[in-house]
Amino acid sequence: MLQLNHLNCGYDTEDVIRDVSLQIEAGKIVCLFGPNGCGKTTLLKAIAGLLPYRGTIRFAGVEVAKMKRRDLAANIALMSQVSDTYFDYSVYDTVLLGRYLYGSKGFFPHTSKADEEIVRQCLEEVDLWQVKDQPITELSGGQLQRVFLARTFVQEPRLILLDEPTNHLDLKYQLELIERLRTWCQRPGRAVIGVLHDLNLALQFADQAVLLQAGSVALDGEAKEVLQNPMVTEVFGIDIKSYMQKSLLKWQ
Amino acid sequence: MQNGLKLLTMLILSFLCLCLAACIGSVAVPVSQVIKIVANRLLGLPLSENISALNATVVWNLRMARACLAFLAGAALAASGTVMQSVLRNPLASSYTMGVSSGASLGAAIIIISGFSLPILGRFTLPAAGLLAGLLTVFLAVSLAAKVDKGFSGNTIILTGMVFSLFVNALLTLIAYFFQSHTRNILLWQMGTFALKDWSYVYLLFPIVMIGLILLLYHSRELDLLTFGEEQAAVMGVETTKVKWRLLSVAAALTGSAVAFCGVIGFIDLIAPHVVRRWCGASHRWVVPVSALFGGCFMVLADMVARTIISPSELPVGAITALIGAPFFAYIYFKRRK
Repeated sequence: MLQLNHLNCGYDTEDVIRDVSLQIEAGKIVCLFGPNGCGKTTLLKAIAGLLPYRGTIRFAGVEVAKMKRRDLAANIALMSQVSDTYFDYSVYDTVLLGRYLYGSKGFFPHTSKADEEIVRQCLEEVDLWQVKDQPITELSGGQLQRVFLARTFVQEPRLILLDEPTNHLDLKYQLELIERLRTWCQRPGRAVIGVLHDLNLALQFADQAVLLQAGSVALDGEAKEVLQNPMVTEVFGIDIKSYMQKSLLKWQ
Repeated sequence: MQNGLKLLTMLILSFLCLCLAACIGSVAVPVSQVIKIVANRLLGLPLSENISALNATVVWNLRMARACLAFLAGAALAASGTVMQSVLRNPLASSYTMGVSSGASLGAAIIIISGFSLPILGRFTLPAAGLLAGLLTVFLAVSLAAKVDKGFSGNTIILTGMVFSLFVNALLTLIAYFFQSHTRNILLWQMGTFALKDWSYVYLLFPIVMIGLILLLYHSRELDLLTFGEEQAAVMGVETTKVKWRLLSVAAALTGSAVAFCGVIGFIDLIAPHVVRRWCGASHRWVVPVSALFGGCFMVLADMVARTIISPSELPVGAITALIGAPFFAYIYFKRRK
């Protein structure tokens, strides 16, 4: 579904991502992890077509750099880390913007019944239908994150890229999000790549894990194997497994 | 109230403001007579016998022309301010930040000191030079931003705009210093006025404002998406660089023409979008037209105060927009926050 070959990219003249090659199959949830500053967000931006790159990024056989913005948006959606909001859009209007690429162009863009239905459904799923008329500037960080998640889903892409999607969510919504992504992925031709710092979540729900170190792939494979590889301890500089086990003992 | 109804209310208010401006002056003319004169000139309906030819001329040729010009300038500034704030994601951004006014002032100053006049343009040489110089300044600022920042971010555009604005202002200061005999004329031009402007100015500004507003309405959804940032707009399918160039050009042309015809009048481009967003929400489909109408009404009322408060002399309209606008804006903005 998605193939990266010898990918190099970054900002200005400096490469942040160096010689990355990856293959993502349809139906998979992929966890991208690594220490701060290792290039996770940059990699997601490159896949979303937001950065110039060298090497190849092919989605369903088509080079991402050659795709038009609308075609790209119909296939790949990126939910970035929650950003500042300046204007009082309602929750409903914000999510409806995710349907932009399906709408007609012109002076009075038409909102179809199908658009209204999918927006309602997604808002109900993230538990925000009851506040649909509230301005987004009055929402908590977690609510805002759920608004942007709903907007990502109404875009109906085939590949969802999530940059730390759980960092503002409480435990209940974190689990619900992951369950929802799993259900979403079951439809043919879909996949998710998410940057996750919670390795417990990654261990429970990801099929594939990719460890990035200084812009290169240090490990790539089945999630359970990658997360338990001693190299993870080496890269993060702490013994993650024993830390997790100690935490678990405290609960017992 | 539905947004459609709010737009209709603003349309009616706009008509009333224009009529009110035509009523008030050194000779007061009743509203009923003003409406009859307007109907006579626009629809060809016969004038009543009790309306003198002098009143008809004063109302139509002097006051209504002036009010319509003020309305168009206010509408252009307000719509342009809306776009600048949204595209640059900065509630304090305006075309003035991008150097339109300093560029236009420099263009006008060069014409004033040189006394140059193109025969084909005649008395419109001065506004044409102002418009061209204003647009050129914005074009240079935005081009530099696009060159130094591939992401074409709002902050870079604001910074390059300010750099150009300050640089052009410095040139203007030098001109004022070396050509002191012209300083008063340059200053008066910058202060802004609608005095001695006839229908020919309205005929020139009207198509520019209408085309500008139509283009902005056409891009209302892209404007909505851009308020969430370039990257988010791009991942939802917007060709951000192309659309931003287009929107910034339209906004600069709107402000540039208003400044070129009427001088540097501040504050409306800042307050109109904020007040309207409080009233109608953030969707540009409504904010653009309602802001334009609000800006138009506000400018007509400010000009009315400017020309009547110390009649027969006049105050600079830019001072009035800020004097009325600042407390009004503070009231609207902080009342809601509370």
